[in-house]
Amino acid sequence: MSDHVIELLGAYLDGELHNGQLRKVVAHLDECLSCQEEYAALQALSLTLQEAPLPDFPSLERFAADVALRLPRKPVIPVRRRALEISWWLVPVGLIATWIFISTVFMVSNMVEAANGFGLLSSASDWLVSGSSSSANYSAFVGQFGFLDAETLQWFTRSERVTRNLISSIFWQVAIGMFYLSWLAIWWARHTRQGLGEALRS
Amino acid sequence: MTFISQANETELVTRAQNGDRNAFSELVRIHAHGVMNVVYRMCGDMHIAEDAAQETFIQAWLRFSSYQQKSSLRNWLYRIAVNTAIDMLRKDKRILPNAVEDLHLTDDQAGPEALFLTGERTDLVQGAISTLPDASRAVLILREYEGFSYKEIADSLDIPVGTVMSRLNYARKLLKEKLEVHLFTFAEVEHV
Repeated sequence: MSDHVIELLGAYLDGELHNGQLRKVVAHLDECLSCQEEYAALQALSLTLQEAPLPDFPSLERFAADVALRLPRKPVIPVRRRALEISWWLVPVGLIATWIFISTVFMVSNMVEAANGFGLLSSASDWLVSGSSSSANYSAFVGQFGFLDAETLQWFTRSERVTRNLISSIFWQVAIGMFYLSWLAIWWARHTRQGLGEALRS
Repeated sequence: MTFISQANETELVTRAQNGDRNAFSELVRIHAHGVMNVVYRMCGDMHIAEDAAQETFIQAWLRFSSYQQKSSLRNWLYRIAVNTAIDMLRKDKRILPNAVEDLHLTDDQAGPEALFLTGERTDLVQGAISTLPDASRAVLILREYEGFSYKEIADSLDIPVGTVMSRLNYARKLLKEKLEVHLFTFAEVEHV
């Protein structure tokens, strides 16, 4: 019985056999009555299945209308487009968060340095700010000219430095804010145009 | 299936993936008949089949962003259709008869002609199909009713071609056993 090709008869019927297997089945069917009967039964089965009629389905228009009524309102957004939209938000937000973090670190550092310079933190903050040893040399250097008292000059210098840092910081933050607003405006314009395009199409 | 060029279908798919409901409705019209055919053969009940076909397209709409255009939309829809039909059958066990004998067809006095005329033959065939295991039934339906090649069935159901062949052999073997008494009678009636 192992020579029979019963397991291949279905594929033969379906036209799915090629080359060696096809030749083998054809040659075997020429000689084997048992496999011929099996093949005839498969043909009869296939004929019977295919001739079983279908019921009357609803018209395509009615069916499509029923489906349209049941479609959820949720817009279908392709994964790629969704990723792009998320990055439109995440990229500027990430940049601004990084900028705020860096600015804060610098601002705190400047404030600590300034406070130390004005003597508010006394010697307890020496470990934090490494400029106190140079202030003595600086004082001596300015005092040689006799224009200003060294302590007063040092006070003005520090005030100027704090103001300059603050203005610079505000300028950059305003610039970044403008950049982010422009980014949002572009995103909004694209989004509106897309929505309008779809509305016009539908 | 309504004739449509591949380029048109690709354009409709792109528009539908961007949320265009009209484009999706056009795709529904194109593939509705095939999907209804598959789910009806899977369920054996017209009303359940219509619900399953609608559910198939709703699922397709919800998951349309995951559809890759390099594969066939028809195969992708049929996979959803088969799974939806199986889910609906599991929810509603009463649709499937436990055996072909459960069907009202054992009127020995009626003769093959009467059987043919009353449409019980259709019930018998559909009943026999419905008793097949889900996996084998899906393969048989795609082959016999949709004319899919083994490769297309494999792509559609995401199984190897060898599995397609073995499931098909198994389904045919079971059907032959269930319909053995009637098989040649049907063939004879066809040629009267």
